[in-house]
Amino acid sequence: MTSAMLFMLLPLILVTATAVVTMLMVAIKRRHGVSCIVTVLGLSLALVSLYFVLPSSTQELTPLMKIDGFSVFFSAVILLSAIMIACFSYPYFVNLEDHQDEFYILLSVAVLGALVMVSNSHFITTFLGMETLSVCLYGMVAYPLHRSAAAQYPMEASIKYLVLSALSSGFVLFGIALLYAQTGTLQFTDLGQALTYGIGPVPPVYFVLCCLMIVTGFAFKLSLVPFHLWTPDVYEGAPLPATAFLATVGKIAMAALLMRFISDSALLVNEAIVFVLALIAGASMLFGNLLALLQSNLKRLLSYSSIAHMGYLVIALMTVDRSADSLGVEAVSFYLLAYALMSLGAFGVMMLVSDSEQERDHIGHYQGLFWRNPWLALVMTAMLFSLAGIPLTIGFLGKFYIFAAGVQGAQWALLFTMVVGSGVGLFYYLRIVYGMLTPLDEDLLLPVAGLKELLPHCLLFLLLALLLLLGIVPGVLMQWLAQMASAL
Amino acid sequence: MIFLFYTAAIVALIATIAVIISTNVVHALVYLIISLLSVAVIFFALGAPFAAMLEAIVYAGAIMVLFLFVMMMLNLGQTTQDEEKEWMQPRLWIGPVTLVALLLVQMTNVLLTQDVDLRPIEVGVLEISVLLFGPWLLAVELASMLLLAGLVAAYHLAKK
Repeated sequence: MTSAMLFMLLPLILVTATAVVTMLMVAIKRRHGVSCIVTVLGLSLALVSLYFVLPSSTQELTPLMKIDGFSVFFSAVILLSAIMIACFSYPYFVNLEDHQDEFYILLSVAVLGALVMVSNSHFITTFLGMETLSVCLYGMVAYPLHRSAAAQYPMEASIKYLVLSALSSGFVLFGIALLYAQTGTLQFTDLGQALTYGIGPVPPVYFVLCCLMIVTGFAFKLSLVPFHLWTPDVYEGAPLPATAFLATVGKIAMAALLMRFISDSALLVNEAIVFVLALIAGASMLFGNLLALLQSNLKRLLSYSSIAHMGYLVIALMTVDRSADSLGVEAVSFYLLAYALMSLGAFGVMMLVSDSEQERDHIGHYQGLFWRNPWLALVMTAMLFSLAGIPLTIGFLGKFYIFAAGVQGAQWALLFTMVVGSGVGLFYYLRIVYGMLTPLDEDLLLPVAGLKELLPHCLLFLLLALLLLLGIVPGVLMQWLAQMASAL
Repeated sequence: MIFLFYTAAIVALIATIAVIISTNVVHALVYLIISLLSVAVIFFALGAPFAAMLEAIVYAGAIMVLFLFVMMMLNLGQTTQDEEKEWMQPRLWIGPVTLVALLLVQMTNVLLTQDVDLRPIEVGVLEISVLLFGPWLLAVELASMLLLAGLVAAYHLAKK
């Protein structure tokens, strides 16, 4: 390992150092504020360091890590989301009758796992990264279980996530082992030949089954239908910062990993795999949107909407191939950035009106928000419009990108499902906006965090600005993504 | 070596079945230890003495004995045993047994049609260490962070 290689790993080293330093500070003296600031500073340093490690071509650091433009892009999105969640966590956890510091340690280590997931093309690092992220999430989801008023169900959510996540990891591991038994390599190698003709006496169906097992495991973590059953319960039971983390960092890292697996292993040469992916995408779009219709809990609603959004994403994933003019890779990257921004905004507003003692996650809590706190209502409306895919927001462009990629791949049935799904989606997003506009006679108790917590409000402003800016003038970002896609 | 492999494999199979059908938890765990030890012998027969040692020390030695202590401390007694017996109804076995039988048929089929040459290549401590501290160094470091996360989460959830 040369010093140049170590320098390329600088973001990972900084994130690791953040976790260790936070832990040492806790050993000296527990201060919630200090832990939060150390975490935010460390992750910000890692974010800045990404600028210096951005390579001009793909860099292999030992067989295990691989750093290129896209890994840097996804790392930046992950770090940005994690920094924002850490900032929002402070007002949320400030009244918790328990130690808060461990949450920040878990958050930093989870970010490390996510960064590893997006910058490798090797099964061992994939698996270690996935497990690091999941183990931290078990802790984060169950975090407030010691408080006296355990009205929500963090432990139940954590156990559910633990069991199903372990099961899906088992699927992935079994698929990897079967692949390794025949190919003898743990790299994501080109399986195109094996999937079409098999290797020696081993028929192609063997490899198709291996790949489907791995894809199934990934689909569990992306909460795609029919592997979505854990999602609403875990979203509802977890404390809001953990939910936001799961919804943004967890999904981005997993989707980026799946994209790299699909493109490096050339899975799409096989019709059966394409068919399964299409079924998963169609079912996710339909069921996600339909099940969200009747939810009165905002966290459950957002969980079903995330299932639908991941379904849209799979359409773009199905067009990720190596032909030079394919839009797939760009569409996936752009959509994940858009999804991170709008989820963070929606969860950010929820975190500002909730705290660890009482989560205000019922739609009724937001009734008449426009008349009590126009600023938060405005941000929430913009985020919901973006999730629904209304023009002038980044969500619209993300969907447009996916649509373009789908047209290029001639996935007409899926595109039709996407249109229907988006139409259904419009109803439940606008229902919340309508509720926020309906005035209330008596003032419901909704102690909105005041302007004294200036930083979270600034972050909301930043998210809103990015949402609109990238929705109106996305040219620079699109050019950059296209440039990176052609260098891939 | 072939004789050793088959003996160990049969012992592992019998012990694992015993784990499933024994109604006493402590007995089940002792059978599980035997099963793990025979898997360690299989590793040895396949030419991986280091993996065999790890299997014996870590799984059979540390983890299982820990389980055993916990079970003995909980002192589950006769009621659980009766409960377990009640759960062991033959009709519950139909589904799993059919599935396992399918897998068995498939595996025999694969093994019979394929010409597999099992010639053990010895992989010792030195070879593994060279790999772990050479190209796989990052994986070792990452595993340490994974364990740290587990430790922090377990500390937080289990305190008080």
